[in-house]
Amino acid sequence: MAIQVLNGLVYGALLFALASGLALMFGLRRIVNFAHGALYMLGAYVGYTASLQFGFWAGLAVAGLVLAALGVVLDKAVFRPLQHRDPLTTLLVTFGLALIAEDLVLSVWGNDTMSFAEPQQLAHTLSLFETTFPIYRLAIVGFGAAVAIGLVLWLRFSRVGLFVRAASHDPVIAAVQGVDTDRVSALVVAVSAALAGMSGVVAAPLMSLAPSMGADILVDSFIVVVVGGLGSLGGAFITAMLLGQINVLGVVFMPELTSLLPFLLMIGILLWKPTGLAGARL
Amino acid sequence: MNSLLAFENVESGYGNARILHGVSFVIAPGESVAILGRNGVGKSTAVNTMLGIARLFAGDVYIQGRRTTSLRHYTAARAGIAVVVQGRGILPNLTVRENLILGGAANRRGHWTLERVFELYPVLAERANSAGTALSGGQQQMLAIGRALMANPDLLVLDEPSEGLAPVIIDEMAEVLRRLSADGTAILLIEQNLTLVERVADIFHVLSKGRVVEHGRTEHTSAADLQKHIAI
Repeated sequence: MAIQVLNGLVYGALLFALASGLALMFGLRRIVNFAHGALYMLGAYVGYTASLQFGFWAGLAVAGLVLAALGVVLDKAVFRPLQHRDPLTTLLVTFGLALIAEDLVLSVWGNDTMSFAEPQQLAHTLSLFETTFPIYRLAIVGFGAAVAIGLVLWLRFSRVGLFVRAASHDPVIAAVQGVDTDRVSALVVAVSAALAGMSGVVAAPLMSLAPSMGADILVDSFIVVVVGGLGSLGGAFITAMLLGQINVLGVVFMPELTSLLPFLLMIGILLWKPTGLAGARL
Repeated sequence: MNSLLAFENVESGYGNARILHGVSFVIAPGESVAILGRNGVGKSTAVNTMLGIARLFAGDVYIQGRRTTSLRHYTAARAGIAVVVQGRGILPNLTVRENLILGGAANRRGHWTLERVFELYPVLAERANSAGTALSGGQQQMLAIGRALMANPDLLVLDEPSEGLAPVIIDEMAEVLRRLSADGTAILLIEQNLTLVERVADIFHVLSKGRVVEHGRTEHTSAADLQKHIAI
């Protein structure tokens, strides 16, 4: 049981690292980014390729940098021109981008299964609760915690973080004070894409690389953002942890309902609190 | 052109609707100017044109003497024109201190710092860690003015600052604006409150149906003459 709770923490931490970018982006740009899962998948493939030459940690760093650069391009080429359009347009465009990314990965890396080895330093187990638990999985919990702490410190205590919070609430008022909200937005999308890409690398050793890997986790990420309160990082954190436990414990105690439980959670919470758990942005 | 802000035959509005029709005025360094008019005549549209919120159809806007063709929301702040927007625009998700720091986003150095704003308005120092919108209306107006001062502006623009405030608060605000003006900060007051206009502005422009229909010096104009332009 304790091990299952730990596994729930691992999935929750990974989910938060991925969903935090979605929440940030929605908070600032009001964008429902269906391509976020594709960024996660692209990050895994980019990190995999870099790691073949330079090792896991370099793969993680390269994936973060490449995806951050891609985020800036996406913001300038896609999100900014669409910012005053119907949200449905942005949703469809990002959905199209996700399909393009999957095809691109198929063309470059093929359809063969690829496995991404965990870093040697973390390829050990730890004796816990009268059994063994992989240290790498604990490191994923650490990654999720580092993302949460890093984002909170950045948003609460840095000048740029203050501008992000201001622009998330009212971009016009922020800009009238002298904040270049387009640059702030490019930065937020870059951070969001980098987090998605790095989450893909971190998740890769737990599963096989496949072009569809982004689509699988994207649904859970959206549930995290919607249930947490659109744009709220605190709400996303609580929901990710909850969903992590539901997913893992559901398999143990209610296997026939496991795939339904996240949706039941979403329906239940939104009926009780339509604005989500936190109900506020950033 | 030696001016902080100048409109030259400006036609502007929203969507395809033109609100301002050939509006011209100039604000030189140190001047205190008021734009008067009834509700809906285009006073706030003039501010919004400068901020790139309203659409500029024709004419020219000069900021710090330069013709500015691409008006972004942040252009004015970075050029030394700080705006206290109508309704104050206090961000509820930021504390009083954070709202003030946001005012310094344009990175202009000068007299005004967080400490100086707290000296001007001690109540803001006492409530520094409260949410901006937890303040009373008068205190929020102090915060809005303090935030604008954090930009160390050459020109302070205030859009209907007396709206919803008690007379005693308006008196205090007039006193602060007079002191700022005496210290060399130019002021553009968009107002319907004649008491505030008479106490602060040296020059007035009256807007009616999107056009400047009269202008002059407040000292040469009676309160009754000014009143007729804003009476419904």
